[in-house]
Amino acid sequence: MIGEKAIHNVGAGAVRVAQEVGGIVVLTWQVLRALVPPRIDRRELFKNLYKMGNKSVPIVVLTAFFAGGLMTLQAGPFVKKLGATSLAGWGAGYAVLREIGPILIGLMFSGRVGANNTAELATMTVTEQLDGLRALAIDPIKFLVVPRVIAMVVMLVVLTVLGDLVALLGSSVVAKVMLDIDWSTMYYSFVDNLKPADFLTGIYKSIAFGGSIAVSSCYFGVTVRGGAVGVGKAVNAAVVAAAVSIMLLDFFLTYLSSH
Amino acid sequence: MSEPAVLVRDVFKRYGRRDVLSGVSLALEPGARLGLIGPAATGKSVIAKLICGLEEPDRGDIRVLGEDVVGKREVQLGPLRRRIGMLFQNYALFDFLTVERNVAFPLEQRGGMEADAIAARVAERLKAVGLSGSEQKLTGELSGGMKKRVGIARATVADAELVIYDEPTAGLDPVTTQKIYDLLTADQLRTKATVLAISSDVVALAGFVDEIAFLYQGHIIYRGPAATIADAPDPLVRQFVRGELEGPLEDVRKATGERDG
Amino acid sequence: MTWVRTRIENLGAGVASVYRAAIELWLVYVGTIAGLFRRGRNSPRGELTRQLYSIGNKSLVFIIVTLGMIGMVMTYEACMQLSRVTGDYSQVGMQFLRLIISDMGPTLTALMLATRVGAGIAAEVGSMKVTEQIDALRMSGVLPIDYLIVPRFLASWIMTLMLSVIGATVMYAAGGLTAQYNFGVNPNTFFDLSQIRPRHVILFLVKASSYGAAIPVVAGFCGLRARGSSEGVGWATTAAVIGASFAVITLDFIISAAALFLTGGDL
Repeated sequence: MIGEKAIHNVGAGAVRVAQEVGGIVVLTWQVLRALVPPRIDRRELFKNLYKMGNKSVPIVVLTAFFAGGLMTLQAGPFVKKLGATSLAGWGAGYAVLREIGPILIGLMFSGRVGANNTAELATMTVTEQLDGLRALAIDPIKFLVVPRVIAMVVMLVVLTVLGDLVALLGSSVVAKVMLDIDWSTMYYSFVDNLKPADFLTGIYKSIAFGGSIAVSSCYFGVTVRGGAVGVGKAVNAAVVAAAVSIMLLDFFLTYLSSH
Repeated sequence: MSEPAVLVRDVFKRYGRRDVLSGVSLALEPGARLGLIGPAATGKSVIAKLICGLEEPDRGDIRVLGEDVVGKREVQLGPLRRRIGMLFQNYALFDFLTVERNVAFPLEQRGGMEADAIAARVAERLKAVGLSGSEQKLTGELSGGMKKRVGIARATVADAELVIYDEPTAGLDPVTTQKIYDLLTADQLRTKATVLAISSDVVALAGFVDEIAFLYQGHIIYRGPAATIADAPDPLVRQFVRGELEGPLEDVRKATGERDG
Repeated sequence: MTWVRTRIENLGAGVASVYRAAIELWLVYVGTIAGLFRRGRNSPRGELTRQLYSIGNKSLVFIIVTLGMIGMVMTYEACMQLSRVTGDYSQVGMQFLRLIISDMGPTLTALMLATRVGAGIAAEVGSMKVTEQIDALRMSGVLPIDYLIVPRFLASWIMTLMLSVIGATVMYAAGGLTAQYNFGVNPNTFFDLSQIRPRHVILFLVKASSYGAAIPVVAGFCGLRARGSSEGVGWATTAAVIGASFAVITLDFIISAAALFLTGGDL
């Protein structure tokens, strides 16, 4: 009996996930189609860019600083033990640019901007504002979703560039304060060991992360049901979907970038 | 002379930059039935919450059932609140409990009652509000009118000494409204509880309460017998009760002005 | 001039509201700790079990998938780098395990739980707040923190510890498989536990329990602060995700720095 119920639950869960994934794929397709010819509501785009940037810069800067510092904290003792302080910047910088930077900034961006976007769209949906747009013959996908998706992708790339710089600064500060490694040692360690490819890999990743965060946050926003409780659940689902897709994309992009 | 059951003295409350209550005073003798009316968003519900200590006034004094409410900690207010029954404007039913457990909740939390006695009491209350047979439903499955009745059962289950009904009949049809008020009247006659009822539906309310107070722009500007409220000497009250567009009420003037413009 | 003054006024108001929020957060924290010792009649029967199941069951697959992925990626990146320099993979498994136990295992698990569990708690408590269910609880003389936050606090604390162990194991195993499959590293070389010392395990436990305690308090605080209707719940959920994630990163930084200090740089 219990086994049967467990199998049923697993099956029902799998069907639900498949439904959500299907819905997200369909929405992605709709967004892409709306982009050919590119007719975007400029005002909506700039409004969103400003709002998203404004909201997320402080948290991204703080997160990046701590993340960079943490990389040095983790790599530092090992490097010091080996007496190879000139490699400290290499270890921390490589991890920051390729992995930790895009992932952590993506997660924070999803929590701040993605979740906020879901909440906003979900509130519009439960208060029937989307139906109002449809009644005026305005396609909510074109008018609301597309500008948001573009704004999120652009903003996450900008924030990743900014966050990378701050993270490298953070790891230098920690190196100086906690491990007594000179500023110049760190600086040359970065410059000598890090390649443009490391930086660019991170940027490619952030484009992919931005797209997946944007589409899933919009998807859960426009498909919400059931008042205040539904809005909370939608935000929850959106951040979880974004986290899973960030990890999956990171895995595939890492493989792709090295083959 | 005994102390009033509710005594609100010169209470001020502001939210953000908006003064909601600016010097409200109100007294209810034990066993009294007072209706509180006023235009939307004037702070009627705020008064209800202040009386229960759910909100803290910025200034002023509140005594309920012989105890001070203002300045007390949450833990100290528990025993007093258990003597008050409250029907919330939007029912505030627990969505994780069944109808039965919702009604039983105040009794379970008060303690000192056997499970059988609680079950009997809950069954009796649910029968009184006409919801026998819905005990095991979750509150999400109920219609608005049913939710309201569950809320009433929960507010009255513990034989509270003071019962506050916030919009007991909003959104209900006239027949159900009358049924609800008959129920509340029968209940009050039995328990002799002090009642504060908040409503915008003055006509139905007037049949239930003895007196009506009118809250307007942060003050109680009128208080008089319920039966003759439509002929109150105050022109503001008369206009509000009769639903006239011409008159001194400011928000009506604004609304009609906007429509004309 | 007026522009400057409004700016200063806004800044002042901002500082004041952050200060008030910090005090409220502190009160929720103190209330939760006090509630742990008051547990009894107030806390609903079977609620702890329900929360344990809800938090654990909802997050298990999520944690396994995400930490497995990141374990593979990290090992892959590390081996790629080594292949360009020395080509000696004998240290990879050992150092990877040290890193997982002293940092990545609990921290990444908690970061994932901050989104999953934090958002869930804030959404639940926030919906109850805006539908006045919290006020209804208070009218029955129930302390909302005891009734709602304390069981979630305990459940989250226990589950963060357990899921951190699971997450770390999955991460390590995924890393080992990647190293063997892509770089031909012998599993016996990779799965080498000899470098692990008690201090690493202590660090693991300290971090996992700090995160597990911080997430429900931050999320509950955000839920209890929700105002308005559906917009308020959305706001609370968003704030909980960001607040809990940031709390995890900050705690990680503080604990790691303190550990480095206490051990004199020999971790």
